[in-house]
Amino acid sequence: MAGSIEVRGVSKEFRLQADRPTSIKEFVTRRGRDKTATHFWALDDVSIDIPEGSMYALVGHNGSGKSTLLRCIAGIYRPDTGHVKASGRISTLLELGAGFHPDLSGRENVYLNATILGMTKKQIDAKFDEIVDFAGVEQFIDSPVKVYSSGMYVRLGFSVAVHVQPEILIIDEVIAVGDEQFQRKCFDHLYGLRRQGVTIVVVTHGMGTVETMCDGAAWLDHGVLQMEGPAIEVAAAYLKKVNDAEAEDRASHRTVSATSGATTESVDGPGEIEILAIEVRDASGAPTTTVEHGEGMQIAIVYRAHTALEDLVFGHAIHTDNGVLVAGTNTQRHGLETGRVEPGLGEALFVIDECPLIEGHYEVTGAINDRHVQHTFDRRDRETRLLVRRGTTRAGVGVVDIAGDWKVRPPQQGLTVLPAPPEEF
Amino acid sequence: MTAPKKVWEYRTLITNLAMRDLRSRYKKSVLGWLWSLINPATTLAIYTVVFGVFLGVEAPVAGNGHSKLFALYLFSALVAWNSFASGVNIAMQSFLAAGGLLTRTYFPPEVPVIAGSLTVLTQTAVETVILIVFMAIIGNLGWTTLIVFPILLLLTAFAFGIGMIVSLLNVRYRDVAYLVALGIQVLFYATPIVYSEDIAAKHPWAADLLKLNPMTHFVGAMRHSVYLLKAPTLLNWVAMILATTIMTLLGWRVFSTKAPRYIEEI
Repeated sequence: MAGSIEVRGVSKEFRLQADRPTSIKEFVTRRGRDKTATHFWALDDVSIDIPEGSMYALVGHNGSGKSTLLRCIAGIYRPDTGHVKASGRISTLLELGAGFHPDLSGRENVYLNATILGMTKKQIDAKFDEIVDFAGVEQFIDSPVKVYSSGMYVRLGFSVAVHVQPEILIIDEVIAVGDEQFQRKCFDHLYGLRRQGVTIVVVTHGMGTVETMCDGAAWLDHGVLQMEGPAIEVAAAYLKKVNDAEAEDRASHRTVSATSGATTESVDGPGEIEILAIEVRDASGAPTTTVEHGEGMQIAIVYRAHTALEDLVFGHAIHTDNGVLVAGTNTQRHGLETGRVEPGLGEALFVIDECPLIEGHYEVTGAINDRHVQHTFDRRDRETRLLVRRGTTRAGVGVVDIAGDWKVRPPQQGLTVLPAPPEEF
Repeated sequence: MTAPKKVWEYRTLITNLAMRDLRSRYKKSVLGWLWSLINPATTLAIYTVVFGVFLGVEAPVAGNGHSKLFALYLFSALVAWNSFASGVNIAMQSFLAAGGLLTRTYFPPEVPVIAGSLTVLTQTAVETVILIVFMAIIGNLGWTTLIVFPILLLLTAFAFGIGMIVSLLNVRYRDVAYLVALGIQVLFYATPIVYSEDIAAKHPWAADLLKLNPMTHFVGAMRHSVYLLKAPTLLNWVAMILATTIMTLLGWRVFSTKAPRYIEEI
């Protein structure tokens, strides 16, 4: 069946450069050395099936073997064990402007690149205008490609790769180079190709792409297949693993910094009460710096009171890492009477059931004020960092997710266009 | 092993790669294509002055019965020699240069090497035309002149076979480039180019050794057909065909089985 890909038990071993004698002298003097230590397996017994006409993603961190697997599928690398069966004409876009000769014009490079991908001159003639038009480089088509910007380079490369009428299209992370508009255009085009029955294999770090565009996915880690299946499931499992690893990483950092004993300076507080820490905690109350979108979380203001105080107002604020205030509130606004605080250690908790923040970096501020919010006892301004991860629930774009439901009404009687309300400001 | 049929499917790519090399070769140079004539012309001038004038090496009488021009006698051999030396070198260069492409897209690794051979063949064709024009000017043409074409085709294939083997080795051991440069230099003097086979015949052991060098037969055949206007000897034919067949088959076999692995090291 044209377009389907079968990968069976594929392993690929690489030698580290130091191992290989590069001159005859070394070849003679290094004979008989143990070579096993300097080899590593870039792919270890990987088996996947990619059905015809599907869009398939390979995910994993850098160095996990994704690109090696792509090259094995494309026939560039020969696996050491196992086999790859990829039937149909393969078009590859593995690196930016691969196959472009800097001194030749865009026109000459299009012809050259398309013949590398297996087209004849006649076929290219027929597609040429379409290729140039898609890439949007008409003005520069007769200039040498070395004067192209990296965006133009990737656009032209992508345009050639998708217009050679492939049955299998293999794309490494190159699309990420183009601007937003071009990326959208690329994905639209890929979508169209998929509808025509082209099998598309992509390597990507964008889980949004995986979830929304791909049918299937495989997750590789150190050359070993971790999971294969529907794209949404694989993306969720991979994200969870990444988030967990990051949380662990932060946790180990935390214990180090806690022992270093950073002292705090109060803003203008006379020392009646001081903030010891502003903490982000997960739903169970354990300290963290990473929260998934849609998960429960808490913001804790840990304080030590040195004298007894009454009617304090605790407040928090969240900023994006580029300084935009996202939200802020305090106990007074929530109508909470805090009563009397005796000397000693205490904390004020702000509990969030579902983190509405969309993935990104944020900074948390905490403050303790008097009842009129005139005098600030202590304040920690944007010192606590919070990283929100894309969670398993789907989020919109922007900074926060606004809860709501969609209702789409089909055309029907009784619906009228109401006049716009008068402008009030 | 890569089947020649598979390579044939990529013939458009082969010609495009060759055209690319030819087009970009003289970009940004003022004299451009003239360089491909200036280089051999200079070599020819130097050898003519040093060997023909200073050392007094004499050329035999040409096929027309009266001309005796050392420069043309030398030129007919140099055309063959240049074709061989550039053929081996271009194989190494084009395989290395195609490394970037070969690790990003799939096509048979023979393709760039064949394209390289084609560019050399173009250069050889230009030189051959000039050689024949000169021969026409001194009135030294005959039906044997046409034999230069099969000779040069055989020679291109011979150089291609050797080129495939050294280009592989060159990827793994960078000494190979130096060794090849040295070997080509030695072989130049071990082939009757700046001297005639008759001179070597004064030392019987040397004459026998020369016969073992395939290039002696290519150069000899060239001189026979284009300068002396005689058909090459049977020995020439046997040696040329045998050397070409062996080297091409061996080179192809070794290259097509090993190249996919070697590409990863470029």
